[in-house]
Amino acid sequence: MLQAYWYITKMRMLTNLAYRFEVFTSVGTNLIIMLASVFLWQTAYGGGIGQVQSLSLQDLTTYTILSIILSSMFVCDVQDTIYYKIREGQIVTDFYRPIPLLACYLADDIGGSLSSLANKALPLIVFASLFFGIPWPSSFLNFLLFIPSCLLSYGILWLLSALVGLIAFWVMELGNMGMVKDSIVRVLSGSIVPLWFFPESVQTVSKFLPFQYTYQTPLGIYIGNVGTKEALAALAVQAVWIIILFLLLAAGWKRTKKKTLIQGG
Amino acid sequence: MEAVIEVHDLVKEYIITKKESGLRGSLKSLLFPQKTIVNGVDGISFSIGKGEIVGYIGPNGAGKSTTIKMLTGILHPTSGSIKVCGISPQADRKSVVRKLGVVFGQRTQLYWDLRLGESFELLRRIYQIDLAAYEETLAILRDVLKLDEFMDTPVRQLSLGQRMRGDLAAAMLHAPSVLFLDEPTIGLDADAKHAIRNFIKEINRTRGVTVILTTHDLDDVEQLCNRLVVVNHGKIVEDGPIDTIIHKLAPYRLLVVELKQPCEDLVHPAATIIKQDGLKIWYQFEKKRISAAELISDLSQKLPIQDLSVKEPDIEDAIREVYKTTSAV
Amino acid sequence: MMSSIRHYVSVASCFARLAVQRQLEYPLFLFSWLLMIPIQYFSGIWMLKIIVDRFQPLNGWDFPELTFLYGLALVSHGIFVVFFINTWHIDNMVINGGFDRLLLRPMNVFFQLVTSYVNFIGLIDCIPGIIIFLYGCQLVGFEWSFFNIVKLVLVLLGGVLLRAALFISLGTIAFWTKRNGSMVGFALSMLERATMYPLSIYPFVLQALFTFLIPIGFISFYPAVEFLGKDSGMVQLPFSLALWTPIIGLACFLLAHWIFRIGMKNYESAGS
Repeated sequence: MLQAYWYITKMRMLTNLAYRFEVFTSVGTNLIIMLASVFLWQTAYGGGIGQVQSLSLQDLTTYTILSIILSSMFVCDVQDTIYYKIREGQIVTDFYRPIPLLACYLADDIGGSLSSLANKALPLIVFASLFFGIPWPSSFLNFLLFIPSCLLSYGILWLLSALVGLIAFWVMELGNMGMVKDSIVRVLSGSIVPLWFFPESVQTVSKFLPFQYTYQTPLGIYIGNVGTKEALAALAVQAVWIIILFLLLAAGWKRTKKKTLIQGG
Repeated sequence: MEAVIEVHDLVKEYIITKKESGLRGSLKSLLFPQKTIVNGVDGISFSIGKGEIVGYIGPNGAGKSTTIKMLTGILHPTSGSIKVCGISPQADRKSVVRKLGVVFGQRTQLYWDLRLGESFELLRRIYQIDLAAYEETLAILRDVLKLDEFMDTPVRQLSLGQRMRGDLAAAMLHAPSVLFLDEPTIGLDADAKHAIRNFIKEINRTRGVTVILTTHDLDDVEQLCNRLVVVNHGKIVEDGPIDTIIHKLAPYRLLVVELKQPCEDLVHPAATIIKQDGLKIWYQFEKKRISAAELISDLSQKLPIQDLSVKEPDIEDAIREVYKTTSAV
Repeated sequence: MMSSIRHYVSVASCFARLAVQRQLEYPLFLFSWLLMIPIQYFSGIWMLKIIVDRFQPLNGWDFPELTFLYGLALVSHGIFVVFFINTWHIDNMVINGGFDRLLLRPMNVFFQLVTSYVNFIGLIDCIPGIIIFLYGCQLVGFEWSFFNIVKLVLVLLGGVLLRAALFISLGTIAFWTKRNGSMVGFALSMLERATMYPLSIYPFVLQALFTFLIPIGFISFYPAVEFLGKDSGMVQLPFSLALWTPIIGLACFLLAHWIFRIGMKNYESAGS
């Protein structure tokens, strides 16, 4: 069983590694965003102000670089996959496959993430180090906490993506709602501007939404903006969100499957 | 006969980058790409007269589409000259394409989401067809291609055969004098094929349209073309009337004889027995050496014949022969 | 000459009508765009506000001025995506044979490429653009004099031509390589960063790059510098900065058109 998933993952990795041209432009695009964002922060600090919200320029530079690298690695194509499968009417035949469909999609996306780690994240780290110095973590312990936090982040992002993909089952004609979700995540995850700078009211609301636990939590741990205890608590919150989202997805998926199989797509 | 298309020494080179397999191979070809020049079309010359229907055939990758694309001005030849209606499509693309209709069987030029009429109206404006002439042509096309059945349906809902009829009409709206058809019957059912062949014959007869057609369906060729140009590996390997080509490449005919009772002396000096099955005997003979009538009369003198039939070699045998003999390059 | 112009106008208007009809076939599809585009751009300007509020004006650009710049860039982007979106899809047209079809018609290929799809969905991009720009004008106290309006129109025109020139040149790469894949995304993020934020926050090399080599600084930054009476950063130019935009825009557009024609000569149609 596991072998089947590993096969999917491996195939996706091999396919992705073959597209060289796309990799060049993707790295280039992310590099531009990275440079521009760091220069923006440098201007904002303007040499004068030492720390804002207890963050130094160096902290924010590291935060920004890592955020862009993570975004190039977090491959969540599941929303588009589901959307197109439904549009092409292929989903019904896929339901009759012997292994769970969502797990296949997950295996596929993990393959995408792993290949991105090799051909997108690594070059980006090298370039970033050349331009701005190596973005070291604040401590080794924080780095150790950062890794599981990233995995949990990916879990949350993937589940959100799959849930949005499910929307297509019910309101196909509305187009790809994944784009809408992405633009919300970009803001509320703190991937561009950390939420610590946002107005108090927004921060309060955001604590009860899953978004900030996708980028801000692991990145905050990495730059040492939170203590070890708070970091562990944050990991726990991430895990809770995964459980909630997983249950939602399981329930939604079951109903959708029933509906699809009855209507025949 | 007035030449509509004249092609002289046409060559089209391609540069191909060799790719090696495996990770090491792809790294190697990234750093040191190995380039080779391949002649997709390798010195082709022919001339097509007004009103001919020419089948342009060959195996996949023989250079058919490349030639058609050069004739229609899409591609520039590496060397050689092309004249379509006396004009070079490379020098004056716009004047040439006004006289051409082109249909790609696998690609439609109709707008997917709109009714046929919308695409036609666009073409009317592009080709600056005056309204009276347009109405007249359209009336004829509607009648011959039976467009009225689906004139108001969005193209995406049409069957493949209907869509192809629509595409043919679109290509004929501006009354071109030359029609290029690239696999016009691909994927169609027998009815649709029949309709399309009829249409081609009809416009050729009534309007004197010259038709150049590439196809893998040899029934198309047999029913439509009076001339065949066979290409392989970028070169013309045969060019002439269909009958001549068949006789040249597959000169043998078969006489199948069924006897009333077994006989001993079956041989005939001008024919070879290639198969015998009970009372049935297959004689193979060459048209040049002996006619069917002579052979039958010779045999019936010494054999008690119950029944007989003559089998003509078909075009498929001939073409297979061409591909076979020219593929060892 | 007149009849030729009439011919092209007649075809362009027919193309436009068909494009609108095609897009209206799926009206609800607009819904996701209608949500996404405003979220994307309103949140973008909101983030700038957050940064300026928490820190300080960016190199002397306060929030009203940033809004003006952001809005100006967005309006020209909006107009561009209405009229020139087909330049994003040249590689697709090469691969699926759409480009062959353009060559088979007795009209200018470049004209057909541009006019064959008027993307009226792009008007959605103009909505947040116009709102943010007008808000910016309000905040900085933009003077709606006749002269300023003429300049503004020329700037928008030049900006659209500059964007078109960039994407046409990139699209031409597909004539050789068959695909230019995510080049469009690459160019879009470059444009966003160079036109919606003041160019003067970037190092001198980048400023020079976006002024002389890929002159997209003229889309919105230099005109905004002049309208707002700001300092143009390290690159100093004579005359009116705003009036450079239409001149450079036209020059780049003609250059791109020339590149496109060279590319067409080398065009190797894809497939068989």
